[in-house]
Amino acid sequence: MNVKTAVFGWAPPRVGALGNELLIGLTLAIVVLPQAIAFSTTLAGLPSYFGLYCAIWGVLFTALLNPSRVFHGGPNSTLSAVVGVTLLPVAPQFGPDYIGYALTLFLLAGLIQLVFLAVRPLGRMLDFVSEPVANGMICGIGLYMIFKSFPAFAGLPINTQVEWRLWIAWQSFLAVLEIGNLHAIHIGLITLLVTLVTRQFTALRNWAILLGIVAGTLYSEWLNARLGLAATLVEQTANVSAAGFVYPSVPLFTQEAMPDIISIIPGAVTLALLGLFQTVAAMRRMNRRSGQFVDARHGIFADALSNCVLPFISALPTCASFNRMSLMHAMNTGSRLAAVSSALFLLALVSFFGEFIAIIPVPAMAAIIMVVGANMIDWSDIRAHFQHRPEAIVFSASFLSVHLFGLFGAVICGSLLALAYAKWEKAHPNVSLEHNVLRIRGNIYYGSLPVIESLYHRASTDAHIDELVVDFSAVHHIDPEGIRWLAEVGKNGKVRFIDRRSGLDRRAASGESPPDRKRRDRKRRDRRRRRTL
Amino acid sequence: MKRRAPGWRKATRLGLLVGVLLALYALAVAKHDERARIREQPVALTPGCADKLTRYGLAAGATYVSPYALARTGRANVRRGYSEEDVRAIQRGCNIIDDLQGQLAADPARERWNATRFVRGTHTSCDHCHQGIGDKQTADGVPQTGSLSLAASWVMADMYDQFTGILLPYELRQMQCYINSSNGFKPNIADDLIRDVTAYSRFLAAALDLRFGVRYPEQGIDEVTASSTLKRGDDYVRGGALFREKCARCHGPQGLGTVVDGKVRFPAVAGPNAFNLQSRNNFSFVSTILPGFICRNMPLGEEGSLSNQDCRDVAFYVSNLPRPAGDKQGPLAALWQQLMMRVMPPLIRSIESWQRPGETVGNGT
Repeated sequence: MNVKTAVFGWAPPRVGALGNELLIGLTLAIVVLPQAIAFSTTLAGLPSYFGLYCAIWGVLFTALLNPSRVFHGGPNSTLSAVVGVTLLPVAPQFGPDYIGYALTLFLLAGLIQLVFLAVRPLGRMLDFVSEPVANGMICGIGLYMIFKSFPAFAGLPINTQVEWRLWIAWQSFLAVLEIGNLHAIHIGLITLLVTLVTRQFTALRNWAILLGIVAGTLYSEWLNARLGLAATLVEQTANVSAAGFVYPSVPLFTQEAMPDIISIIPGAVTLALLGLFQTVAAMRRMNRRSGQFVDARHGIFADALSNCVLPFISALPTCASFNRMSLMHAMNTGSRLAAVSSALFLLALVSFFGEFIAIIPVPAMAAIIMVVGANMIDWSDIRAHFQHRPEAIVFSASFLSVHLFGLFGAVICGSLLALAYAKWEKAHPNVSLEHNVLRIRGNIYYGSLPVIESLYHRASTDAHIDELVVDFSAVHHIDPEGIRWLAEVGKNGKVRFIDRRSGLDRRAASGESPPDRKRRDRKRRDRRRRRTL
Repeated sequence: MKRRAPGWRKATRLGLLVGVLLALYALAVAKHDERARIREQPVALTPGCADKLTRYGLAAGATYVSPYALARTGRANVRRGYSEEDVRAIQRGCNIIDDLQGQLAADPARERWNATRFVRGTHTSCDHCHQGIGDKQTADGVPQTGSLSLAASWVMADMYDQFTGILLPYELRQMQCYINSSNGFKPNIADDLIRDVTAYSRFLAAALDLRFGVRYPEQGIDEVTASSTLKRGDDYVRGGALFREKCARCHGPQGLGTVVDGKVRFPAVAGPNAFNLQSRNNFSFVSTILPGFICRNMPLGEEGSLSNQDCRDVAFYVSNLPRPAGDKQGPLAALWQQLMMRVMPPLIRSIESWQRPGETVGNGT
């Protein structure tokens, strides 16, 4: 990968397209704003400036470091949820310790991503986190997000002490029904309904979240004007204008914190893996759609470098976002200028209109999180997985293990099952006996040998078969143990091997001399090469 | 049948979603109304609570004068009084402390509609640790040292956790009680359960005339073991012997507690109904709170008969008895602990009866 092309290789913008790029940038900035605040406060349990800085600096860094037109990082719901799940058992949310641990977690994740960048085979490993595994996890996290936002939706204080479990989520749902603040529930419901209804119109789909937030905020303002904040008790988002450009910060690495830091390492691995996986998957999808091919390693490069820098300026970790990239693609982005300008627009918005952002009520944010969480559960994907039993098992296992063993457990559990399935498939080659021909289609290796051997044994001891022909034309891999077995089989006088790809059987029959054969082979090869050229 | 346009499917789905949301909203409104109705109704007090609250002169009114403070100091300390609603909250809080499981109250479905939901097992009550319904007093009416008094806990809430250095609000500290000590589920911090118990603790502090920022011996139990938190001399075997000698007659030889007619006489200190491993893993609990509690309050009726070293040994032994895993430890640990708790007691019993065939070994419950 060439760093120079990554940083300086700008796709030439079309003539007169500058206005369009800036418009896309403004749209992106407005769309990402409520998401950034909601992800950092409701999901990650961090102050709102974490999400905003990620939406500003994360987007800027990743857009500058990646040559793709539509690619950019930014705050991500899944990653924010992972932060919340990992840090809940370690420290009370929103406290100074929590922030310190969060920064440490982000830095660790960034360093792990750097390792993925430096060691090439590790980057290849990402392909082994198969789609059902990732989808299972993402659906699990979507459910987590919906449940997690119930208390905030109902204006209740968010529980900050114990790790999240399905049962506790159910308890908090019951609590919402019984003791929730009805004013907050009204605001949340209005936001939710406006968002849901607007999403149904294609033209408004990308603006739905923004319109929902606006509706919820207007209702809460009206409510506060009529009853007063003391009566409604609806929490509002913090004023972000005072935070300014950058809030410099240092990750926590003290001796007392070491046991806790060690305990969050699995979380850091999950964060790094999930971030990279989403980036790589999003880039793959965008490559297919846009016709531009950008190596996924550019994405890993941009993510890893940004995530190592972002903890020092109080920002959430960044990774690609499917919905924002689709939005850019749909709006026909011509260059990276759109992403860069979106970061700058957001910076201006936060700096000059911070006090307007501050009046957004927390229940409206929670409603947005619910919509985002529900979006992560993609029924068409789930239906596709359930058409194939092994995939369905892998999907369900990783979905359930998010709730049973946590996110790291889900990665391990799902990946192991996916690998086991791949191995299992390979261990069952298609072996058939037709008359005296034993055909093997698949792999000959230590795992599949028992299956092959049983049929071979039956055929070789059959008295009706005088000559057993073993056809391994469709074998694509033989391991040393397979070779030893073949050598053993070759000693049996009854057995003849054929491999139709090499033409070995035909040659044995024809009386052609070796030099002639060599010449003809070369001719055929040349002809084939000409055809491909 | 006529095929509908594809837009219809979308509309149906959206309608269904909105319908479910509105149904949930209607359910929430109904539940809110029910809760408001219940909170309006008079509270049926347990006998212990009725006695205690009368003694402290709890009544609705513009002012409140504590009979306790008046009797001790001779001066009427006039405070702002309690409204009808406050009084009901305090009464409910007292009921929750007296019997968390709702076994004594007149109408458990109504009084405890918000309490039992958060408790696992059937033996725990707040009163087992916070003795005397949160305020244990000696024969001459003085609050007993080290009885984990809720009144003192309330005024000392912000200096509670001196070992971890974390300042826990009283409400969060209570949530830990539900999660660990009653091995239960986590209530929301704004739940009525928490608010009622807080109201009761606050009332006790006012009635006993305790002040913020002062350390009180009835809550503090750390002086028993403050000098020896290293646990150097703690002896498990000696603790076991002491447990069988002093504690087993109430708590059972295996610490499973004593239950008569479904009512808990003596709480379990081990087994499925005891506090969970999460509290044991809390260093300050094992090194300080448990030995301190034992020294101040055990054995019942002979308080103070154990030496500090005895208390530490017994606490060391008790804290290592099998008990349920907490939510934090995960489902596998929970499963393993459950298995151990079900399998080990009968095994130990059979081995003991095989070693000493003459003796009859109690089953512990």
